[in-house]
Amino acid sequence: MTQTPEFQGTHLFDRLCWAKENLDGVQSDYRVVYEDSVDECAKILVPDPNWMACALQGGILPPVEVYHELAKDEAQPDFTKHTRGYLLHETQPIDAMTEEEAIEYLIKKDCPQAVWKTYNEGNRLKMVICKKEQLPKTREWRNAWKIDQDLIAA
Amino acid sequence: MANGKIKADTLEHSTAGSLDTSYVVNGSAKAWLNLNGTGTIATRDSFNISSVTDTNTGKYAPVLTSAMGNTNYSLAGYNNKHSGESFYAGGGSGLGINAFVTTTASTYDLLSYSNAYVDSKYVYSQVFGDLA
Repeated sequence: MTQTPEFQGTHLFDRLCWAKENLDGVQSDYRVVYEDSVDECAKILVPDPNWMACALQGGILPPVEVYHELAKDEAQPDFTKHTRGYLLHETQPIDAMTEEEAIEYLIKKDCPQAVWKTYNEGNRLKMVICKKEQLPKTREWRNAWKIDQDLIAA
Repeated sequence: MANGKIKADTLEHSTAGSLDTSYVVNGSAKAWLNLNGTGTIATRDSFNISSVTDTNTGKYAPVLTSAMGNTNYSLAGYNNKHSGESFYAGGGSGLGINAFVTTTASTYDLLSYSNAYVDSKYVYSQVFGDLA
């Protein structure tokens, strides 16, 4: 297995350049289906194969909390540009994850917080992790897809 | 990088002149994506993307791994206007970029010939701008 260089302090973009050159992409079968609005259809998050390779390799990606800190900054009304981008580059990168841990990380990074923090509260389950084979085979009526609550209860 | 670093402000060719390395740093694409937006959507290849969310027919939302420094970055892209194979004359179109853009996320809207949302088999996009 390729050894990850010591990357703490290296710009995240440079780490991704290294990963692109040294790691093969990993196509995950996992999908995250979530609903962030009652008026909209279900959304389906698909992990990126090159990102998944970085997650499984370890020593490349920053802790997910770094993204949450940057999101807080960006949510400020007077935000114009990031001034704490160094958090991405100088925070100790996290170790290798399993594919399941990587999906959990990705949910916390790329899904709305309102979804993953309260996914099982309220009348409807707002998020499920499934395999791609469990999704509809065609995209017919795509704009009406919803999470099947009966299937989850079963 | 850990396996070697060259620091230089200028690159000089023996006859063709010189170039500030800032041109290279500032002018390079910071992310790119080649996506199959049909069926169970799938990324063929990419750089600096952590995930793509299939949000509806003809709507896809990629997220960056290394965030941009601000929201004034530039997105470029192209797609065929249907779920088939061809890119014949007039058969492609630029990406519609949803107004909601953050330093890591944006949404692409793809329209067909009849201006209806359509799932495209070939979606290409690039991001230019300043990294955080």
